[in-house]
Amino acid sequence: MSSTAVVDKLVVRRVIAAPAKDLFDAWLDAKAMAVWMKPGDAERSDVTVDARVGGRFEIVMQTQRGPIPHRGVYEIIDRPRRLVFTWNSPYAGEHGSLVTVDFLARAGGTEVVVTHEKLPTEVAVGQHRGGWTEILESLEANLARKS
Amino acid sequence: MGEHQTRRLDATLGALSDPTRRAILARLARSDARVTDLAAAFPISLNSTSKHIRALERAGLVRRTIHGREHVLALDAAPLAEVAAWTEHYRRFWEERLAALDAFVTGGAKRPQRRRTR
Repeated sequence: MSSTAVVDKLVVRRVIAAPAKDLFDAWLDAKAMAVWMKPGDAERSDVTVDARVGGRFEIVMQTQRGPIPHRGVYEIIDRPRRLVFTWNSPYAGEHGSLVTVDFLARAGGTEVVVTHEKLPTEVAVGQHRGGWTEILESLEANLARKS
Repeated sequence: MGEHQTRRLDATLGALSDPTRRAILARLARSDARVTDLAAAFPISLNSTSKHIRALERAGLVRRTIHGREHVLALDAAPLAEVAAWTEHYRRFWEERLAALDAFVTGGAKRPQRRRTR
């Protein structure tokens, strides 16, 4: 259970051997995104980008199960340090979950940190952050005692 | 994620959206309890406690066993595990996207991908 504990925000990071500006630009370039914003089960992704604060993007992942649209609006564009945009999708919900991408200088490259917040879990739980984790922590402790 | 699973997830999240219901689950995570024990533990009426418990039962988060006149409640963790699996969906999504970004910017998947530690 501990490896799958419920979180109200997701943080995923990866150090990539490339300069921050190259990585940053790949997040705002429709041609680049058509390549790397394409999940393995998608034939292609159709991407449109209006790369300015208040501008919209759309990524339609064409999968065998049909098109999966992802849409959002850019809130912060601070090249090459930080990019913040809303993210609507059938999975993340249409209430504007928020994605922050930070580009941090590291030895031999750049660490790209994706923070995805305001997922439906968090919306449902509302202001009572920690509610989840409390339940699951006591649940884990309970299961650990039993096993 | 199928539609059925999404609906069940909505039911779980809906049941968890109330602080009293979360407190009841946290209490049941420690040990099974009788309805009357729970009503005594929370500053709400027995009637109100029963309503919350029924909502948790509908979401499949609580199971009720009847021993004579005693109704004993137990936590069922399965729907919570499903919620955890669902956040895993997003985690995998972003991990795969960053791996693809790496391959795109550094010029292909020459380097073996770092394995995820679990």
